[in-house]
Amino acid sequence: MEQRLANTWHMTINEKKFIESALSKNIRVDGRSPVDYRQLTIKFGREDGSSEVQLGETHVIGLVSGQIVQPYRDRPNEGTLAIFTEFSPMADPAFEPGRPGEFAIELGRLIDRGLRESRAVDMESLCIVAGKSVWAIRVDLHILDNGGNLIDTANIAALAALLTYRKPECTLGGENGQDVVVHDPEVREPLPLIIHHMPVAVTFAFFNEGDAMVIDPTHKEEAIMGGRMTATLNSNGDVCAVQKAGGDGVSLSVITHCLRLAALKAVDITSKIKNAVDSYNTARALRKVKRHNALVAPDITVPDSVMKGNQIGQLAEHQAQKFKEESTKTFDTETVVGIPKETVLFNKKNINFIRKDSDSFIGGPSNWDPYSQSIPPTFVRSSQIFPGLHSSS
Amino acid sequence: MDGQLSAPTQATSLFDQTVIPGDIIVDLPSVANLRVGSGLRQDCFELLAMKVGTLRYKKPNKYWLESSHKRYDPSVEDTILGIVVGRNSENFLVDIKSSSLALLPVVAFEGGTKKNIPKLEIGSLLYVRVVKANHGTNPELSCTDASGKAAQFGPLKEGYMFDSSTGLARMLLSTPTCPVLQAFDLQRFKIVIGLNGRIWVNASTPSMVVLISNAIMASEFLSASQQANMVKELTDQLQTRCSRTVGFITVNSKSAVVNSTS
Repeated sequence: MEQRLANTWHMTINEKKFIESALSKNIRVDGRSPVDYRQLTIKFGREDGSSEVQLGETHVIGLVSGQIVQPYRDRPNEGTLAIFTEFSPMADPAFEPGRPGEFAIELGRLIDRGLRESRAVDMESLCIVAGKSVWAIRVDLHILDNGGNLIDTANIAALAALLTYRKPECTLGGENGQDVVVHDPEVREPLPLIIHHMPVAVTFAFFNEGDAMVIDPTHKEEAIMGGRMTATLNSNGDVCAVQKAGGDGVSLSVITHCLRLAALKAVDITSKIKNAVDSYNTARALRKVKRHNALVAPDITVPDSVMKGNQIGQLAEHQAQKFKEESTKTFDTETVVGIPKETVLFNKKNINFIRKDSDSFIGGPSNWDPYSQSIPPTFVRSSQIFPGLHSSS
Repeated sequence: MDGQLSAPTQATSLFDQTVIPGDIIVDLPSVANLRVGSGLRQDCFELLAMKVGTLRYKKPNKYWLESSHKRYDPSVEDTILGIVVGRNSENFLVDIKSSSLALLPVVAFEGGTKKNIPKLEIGSLLYVRVVKANHGTNPELSCTDASGKAAQFGPLKEGYMFDSSTGLARMLLSTPTCPVLQAFDLQRFKIVIGLNGRIWVNASTPSMVVLISNAIMASEFLSASQQANMVKELTDQLQTRCSRTVGFITVNSKSAVVNSTS
């Protein structure tokens, strides 16, 4: 018992009284005004569908993954969406490993409701074969640091991850045309999810029996708040969800005031998310252009280098040679469900080949543009013979 | 003797240098009374570093390591801020940001006897002195100085407390007065700095308290002139903020918690 006391976070009476008295004068201890958010930073990982969001000191990671499953019987042509939360013990001394606590479940439910009930994610586009195969989208939210207001941060992480996730393209193939063929992302460009609108959660904390209200409470403010309310709205002003689980009662006028504030904040946050996603997509497209002529996924941090005209021709010939050799050795029939084997092999071989041959050839999109310089005929021929190569999209 | 990994070095060459755990500091000038301070451990004739920090030396025989951490390692005669978290018949249980709770005997107050035990609630903030600090046992505290007088120890009323690193606390306590504190009118606020990284501030208005606490938190990695500039910026912003109702301040620093819009 003593060890648990030693490891928990304690708040002093002095802090509690001070924060409450300062709030009665509309002063917050970090200098913000009661309706201001902390600094929001949205970053993305290398893979599609991974986001990292920081709101002040609160830090959440969102990961989206997809799997093909059988649909529910009562909704045979809709995909499924599931939210999972993980409250890592490193985020807060109060988080225990193992089964999610009450707040973890509430957070998951709140984000799920905001996305599902408002039909933000299009479920019917996730259907592949009605009644047999649909996409099951899973969003994992990992809480890394609890600096207060996990709900808003986790919601933004989920949205950012969903907006950047790409699901592999599927077609029907096989002997009877009923089997699902999942194409490798290197072969066919994966597709983004269809998101109709962005439900943004805005959390309010109430103090002094409903007299004072703040937006985006910090960890200390959350420890002494009397009640909390979360309103999920989109930038059009539609209310997607409202949650107030216990705590001090507040009057109707306060609630309508909060909803109006939430509408303003939702517009602001939506534009921030959109900007972050747009810059991610641009960077991703640039990476694809590099990959188009390098046939390998380079590091973005590698410096661009100038590629001379004859170098392209030489390299293309060299590549064509290599691929001819490879194909005679290891060509394999495409398997029905799964990634075509030889494509993977080619890519692996490419990587080895490129790396050891010349560090100078890592195509820089700023210096090489497929339309300004003519593509040598050997290069075109090689891309036609071997459909496994990444075709221009 | 796992410290053998690093080559033995001359003590003098390491003064004011950063050392890492395991570095052996040998060839000490032969002194009768070696005073080993925090962060160092004496092993026969070798001094081993236990933490990452700067090796300091004071003539004729004092050696210690200066490091900055978020957790506190109790050492005797340190003055720190503790939070009461419990009580048993003999001691108050006090949290001091170390690995185990500290014990404050209920009689360790000026004129304290079993009959007049002070009423300290859970969550009270105390300014205390470390009396015993051995590895493995709970540290012991006292609210009196060595002669038994109160000397400003005891519970702190009102004000606001915040956490920082031990390095920042030491910087604030150094002489001459730290620039960030110098920049404020020293008559207009009270401050108590605990060597365990806890700082308590009180002033006449809440906005003053908020200003001081944010300035201190932001000053950890700034130089003297940067600190002075930062405080000036914050005070100006507060003046303009008081006349409007929106807007707040950004300080470009690692530990800044005051945010701003243009």
